[in-house]
Amino acid sequence: MPLDLEAIRSDFPILGRMLPNGKKLVYFDNAATSQKPKCVIDSMSRYYEEYNSNAHRANHTLADEATSALENARSVISEFFGTSPDQMIYTSGATEAINLVSYGWARENLSEGDVIVLTEMEHHADIVPWQQLSKEKGVEVRYVPIDTDSFTLDMDAFEIAAQDASLVCVVHTSNVLGIRNPVERIVEISHEAGARVLLDCAQGAPHEMIEFDKSGVDFVAISAHKMGGPTGIGCLLVRRDAMEQMGPFMTGGSMIKRVSTEGSTFQEGHAMFETGTPRIAEAIGWGAAVEWLGQFDMGEVHSHINEIASWVAGMMDDIDGIRVYGDPSRVDSSGAVSFLHESIQSQDLALLLDEGGFAVRTGHHCAQPLMDALGVPSTNRASFWIYNTMEEAEAFVNHLGYVVERFSEKS
Amino acid sequence: MGHQGTWPEHLNDIVEEFQSCFDSMERYELLFQYAKKHPSPLPPEEWEESNQVHGCQSRAHVICSLDEEGGFILRGGADAQIVQGLMAVTAIAVNGMAPSEVETLPPDFADAMGIRSSLTPSRANGFLNMFNRVREEAGKLLGG
Repeated sequence: MPLDLEAIRSDFPILGRMLPNGKKLVYFDNAATSQKPKCVIDSMSRYYEEYNSNAHRANHTLADEATSALENARSVISEFFGTSPDQMIYTSGATEAINLVSYGWARENLSEGDVIVLTEMEHHADIVPWQQLSKEKGVEVRYVPIDTDSFTLDMDAFEIAAQDASLVCVVHTSNVLGIRNPVERIVEISHEAGARVLLDCAQGAPHEMIEFDKSGVDFVAISAHKMGGPTGIGCLLVRRDAMEQMGPFMTGGSMIKRVSTEGSTFQEGHAMFETGTPRIAEAIGWGAAVEWLGQFDMGEVHSHINEIASWVAGMMDDIDGIRVYGDPSRVDSSGAVSFLHESIQSQDLALLLDEGGFAVRTGHHCAQPLMDALGVPSTNRASFWIYNTMEEAEAFVNHLGYVVERFSEKS
Repeated sequence: MGHQGTWPEHLNDIVEEFQSCFDSMERYELLFQYAKKHPSPLPPEEWEESNQVHGCQSRAHVICSLDEEGGFILRGGADAQIVQGLMAVTAIAVNGMAPSEVETLPPDFADAMGIRSSLTPSRANGFLNMFNRVREEAGKLLGG
């Protein structure tokens, strides 16, 4: 059933916002963070207004309600991702989830000479933790290049790099290019080589159903705020056998069984990795977000944003001096369209687009190795989600054409 | 000094030129034009970490010095034309002034031109970071 965009948009109060210059907001910065439906905002307000309390470790009513809400959210979220609550660890987001694999699993299981395979497409969050580990433990980090004509991963190079790998860390969908990697094949090759696989699904989860148990992936990192949830929360999905190989990451309260002056013993399962007061309101908000998103067919969601991205990129081809990085015409591409103009600097272009009410992102998008591979310092990026419309896309393309016509240096 | 005595008189024409713009897009267009008319540009070859203005979203660099008569000279360069235009107007404002005047010059001319109000907050902060850096450099030249 096609998406009812009018109904969807009515769930997002912010989309009706007027900007200080009198222009109506057109929000195309969804790959950075999505807007939040009112049910998410309300669920978090309700927690603070009606049952704010620290979860666990108390016998009063509010603590019980808060604990139930926190754990109910875990059930709802893990079910959405096709797995069970015991395989889900709350984190602050995908970045912390990847660091959790680095500190909790890799430091326990890898040593000098072991190989970690990354790609040139990775977000800094999936590069820096491994560079740090390499410095500490002497593990080798390999980078699989991309084909800069097709903007896809060089799978021949991947196959060679993965041969003797212990861990393969790959982004599901590039935050810059919108390209979805062939993750099924990557998992197959990696597992044949005996490597664990970590998928960074920060960009994948908002446009595709992540079915963790079916995927066979060992670790999946997800951020809530890119899929309608609040900032400050995400999760690491971990296969049971991999979790059993993990040691504690951050230590302190909640994650212990017993502490004495002689030492400490730790909880088992996800509790070992969730120290300190949990992000209760955020978890509740994320639970509300996946319940909201769960009413739609994710295939429809993907088709909708892919259709907008593909159309926008196609129209950009007709605007003098614009180059698109990525291939939004691929049916598996997400809603991100990265582009540059040959003479209007990206920061200037972003400001001139903002003047028309269009919120796009500019910069290296925390993917400097990818920028190096593409030979550019930054790009502009328009990224779409479930509530964006073709009318917005048409207005954006018109405004971009107008800006280029007025501000480009004519040769 | 010009209107309300806060900016050099020779900026009056420029301030009026910006004030007469129809809208912010026209103001940006004018900044693009001023970017090309920077009186003392700093070419990219001279951009270094030591002369970088931090806090700007785009790359911006300034080198401040005194001419033979003790007048202030602001050389500046940026990769974004809007920032380069802001630098050009600032250079027009401060070049030739005594460093003691530059050190205490308020950024009011940018308000009067309608530039700061049409910049996003982060851009406005970027302009202020650049402007404050220029005033700091003027203070150092005084001390030296």
